Amino acid sequence: MTTEHATPSDLEAIRKELARTVLSAMTMNFIVWIENPEHRDWILDAADKVSAKHPSRVVILEACSKVKGMSLQRATHGDDTSEMTVHAQRVTIGCNAVAPDQVRETVHALLVTGLPTVLWWTGNPFARRPTFDALVASAESLVVNTSGLSADESMVLELEKFMASRTPVSVRDIAWMRLSSWQDMIAQFFDNAAVREELFAIRRLRIVAGSDAEALYLGGWLGSRLGWTACGHDEFCDRQDVHIPFEHVRDGGARRVRSIEITTKNSVFTANVSDGDENVVILKATGSGARGERLVQLQSMDNASLIERAILDSTTDEVFETALRMVGTLLA
Amino acid sequence: MPDNAATLTKPADGKADGLANPLRAGIDTNRIKDPCNIVFFGASGDLMKRMLMPAMYNLRLGDILPSDFGIVGFSRSEFTDDTFRDEMKKSIDEFSRTGPAKDPMWSDFAKRLSYISGDFDDVKCFANLKKHLENNDKELGTAANRLFYLSTPPSLFSPIIDMLEQSGLGPKDNAKGWTRIIIEKPFGTDLASARALQTEVEKVFNEKQVYRIDHYLGKEPVQDIMALRFANVIFEPLWNRRYVDSIQITAAETVGVELRGGYYDNAGALRDMIQNHVINLLTLVAMEPPAQANFESIRDEKFKVLMAMRPIDKQRVLIDTARGQYGPGTMGGQAAIGYRQEPDVRPQSNTDTYAAIKFYIDNWRWSDVPFYLRSGKRLAHKTSEIAVRFKSIPHRLFGEAGDTLDNNELVMKIQPEEGISLRFSAKVPGPKMHIRSVSMDFNYGTGFGVVSPPAYERLIGDAMRGDATLFTRWDAVEAAWQAVMPVLETWQEVPDETFPNYAAGSQGPASADRLIQADGREWRKI
Repeated sequence: MTTEHATPSDLEAIRKELARTVLSAMTMNFIVWIENPEHRDWILDAADKVSAKHPSRVVILEACSKVKGMSLQRATHGDDTSEMTVHAQRVTIGCNAVAPDQVRETVHALLVTGLPTVLWWTGNPFARRPTFDALVASAESLVVNTSGLSADESMVLELEKFMASRTPVSVRDIAWMRLSSWQDMIAQFFDNAAVREELFAIRRLRIVAGSDAEALYLGGWLGSRLGWTACGHDEFCDRQDVHIPFEHVRDGGARRVRSIEITTKNSVFTANVSDGDENVVILKATGSGARGERLVQLQSMDNASLIERAILDSTTDEVFETALRMVGTLLA
Repeated sequence: MPDNAATLTKPADGKADGLANPLRAGIDTNRIKDPCNIVFFGASGDLMKRMLMPAMYNLRLGDILPSDFGIVGFSRSEFTDDTFRDEMKKSIDEFSRTGPAKDPMWSDFAKRLSYISGDFDDVKCFANLKKHLENNDKELGTAANRLFYLSTPPSLFSPIIDMLEQSGLGPKDNAKGWTRIIIEKPFGTDLASARALQTEVEKVFNEKQVYRIDHYLGKEPVQDIMALRFANVIFEPLWNRRYVDSIQITAAETVGVELRGGYYDNAGALRDMIQNHVINLLTLVAMEPPAQANFESIRDEKFKVLMAMRPIDKQRVLIDTARGQYGPGTMGGQAAIGYRQEPDVRPQSNTDTYAAIKFYIDNWRWSDVPFYLRSGKRLAHKTSEIAVRFKSIPHRLFGEAGDTLDNNELVMKIQPEEGISLRFSAKVPGPKMHIRSVSMDFNYGTGFGVVSPPAYERLIGDAMRGDATLFTRWDAVEAAWQAVMPVLETWQEVPDETFPNYAAGSQGPASADRLIQADGREWRKI
């Protein structure tokens, strides 16, 4: 059913319809905030994929001007020969110029009691936005993407401030999660115990990425793991107070890391995207830590997979949080 | 100061190589740690082309193989390293789930592929192999760790194992690293041949070094059975003879013997499916909760189930079992040939393409609960499932005349659908107390993004890691053969004169229906 403008009676009608629906199983309430029409299609696609695999009550909040009123869709699973089974329920609500309290109340009325609630916020920015505050208060998990809409560092800083406010919600940043294969590649250089000493002798760090969040996260992660402190804008100090310049260069496609170079006292460790195949990274070490070239296929994950992983892993990610704090102090 | 205790602190002695890598905290990686060589015997065979080499390549693409590895093909066919690589590239291009092999990953992978041509009973060829592996240890950093994969016809398993020992490639002669062996199914064709093979195996390998592969166990839904049972509290109190009426385990296929007529005609459904796959499912559904999630605990519990299976008295074989062979019929609207018309099948073959058996497990949990097992080819639908049928309610309180109160039933769907279905009774809305059965279904949705790896990728990776959870231990293989031997022997002694006795595309032979109907029950529809 669809209505032109969402009213209390619309809401009541939708609730009755939802109550009538035979749902096979349900794992969560999944609230998705959309405000940029250019991103609308892929966000809806990712939300559909996630809810198809994890049957959910999905509440799509569309702050794009063209969407009005409230509508209900049911996603089904099955084939012509079997009885159709309702797999997910999606309620779409037009939220353009709707008061935050009204959005919150409407969403509250639609949530299934007793299920975890995940908020996927795709807006930019979110700090000091009453609608965001109203929605995040209903959620156990928040999923954001700090390099989703802007290539600069602003969203990372916003997230760092939000985390500092200690709101009791589990936070996952897709920009951070996308870096796991790069972190693994850097860690590989030092899996060999004979080379581990080099971690104490890093002198310079250079990261090239298409947006700032990725480079900052990798720098913040490395610094926080190694006990460094931020001792200037774009500069770390290690435990012996050796200054380590951190050069982060914005180049290439958004959300893509192109190269990492770690220079130590005696070696240089590099991970560069191959010229021949942008999904292959060439790992190389020269100097005293030299080793043969190694190729790694980048394990690129689509948005739905990243969202799924964010939802499934809702415990505190201490490594992420310390890296984010490091980024905050680095940019302060 | 950083506020995370897990960050790196350099020790007082200034040496960092004793520390764990601090960058590893929080990184979830599946990469196999130990470098190793994997040697495929039967490297020119169909399994290698279709499954094993694509699996190895995808393990490499997924960055699951260790940093240092070597892959050696061994078979009688004449290949050089280069022509072997060309053949393997063709097979990856055709059969890999990730599509054709592309540079630069393929060239990097191919550098680690090599080939030795030789006879499986020629000790000189194995001496060459030994030299080759030692050279790989130096050139590729494979650290003397060796995994041998027997993907040859079963008749060659013993000679190869013997040659490994004679040429100094057995574990006793490898003090520098580990040595393991993967043995493809079937492990024997009956109890005696399985024991004979095991005698050869244990002359060279101890049990912890042997990985008997049953690719069915590598399928994800099979692992879901343990999750359903042991990650929930609500089922366990009902999971016993007090509440369970019977259990049906079905592995039904729509395909015929395809290109395996020669093999299958000497095997049959009982050997090919029931003795391994289906009985494995039975052990998973019937076992006690393991003390730990490690492979020995799980395999111990599965073995206890096998030990408790009541041997079928030979006098009862023709009562408690049913067999069938498909004749011509219709599959999906198309005419389908009968088994005896299949390529490489004897025209008067008496091989079973359908087998059904009733087993009992004599222990406190399952005493007197029948387990009905069935498997067949060319049946109406492809389906694998375990159906736990609960007992009837003890006293009927509700329901109008004519209302049927079906037993509760929990169905674990393994393939092609993956999920769980629970049948229970509910009141129909209205003034009268009508009761009807409703089914609550949970289907795992279509996966996306990171696809579950095919069974061979999972299993080869597990063997390289030394995780034997999904491999079958010898005592379990032996016990499974013991369970089916009275049936095999009786079926051999008393050929079924009614073959072919079911039409392709049907529900199976009428004798299977009689088997279960004699107990007042019905098969679930395939």
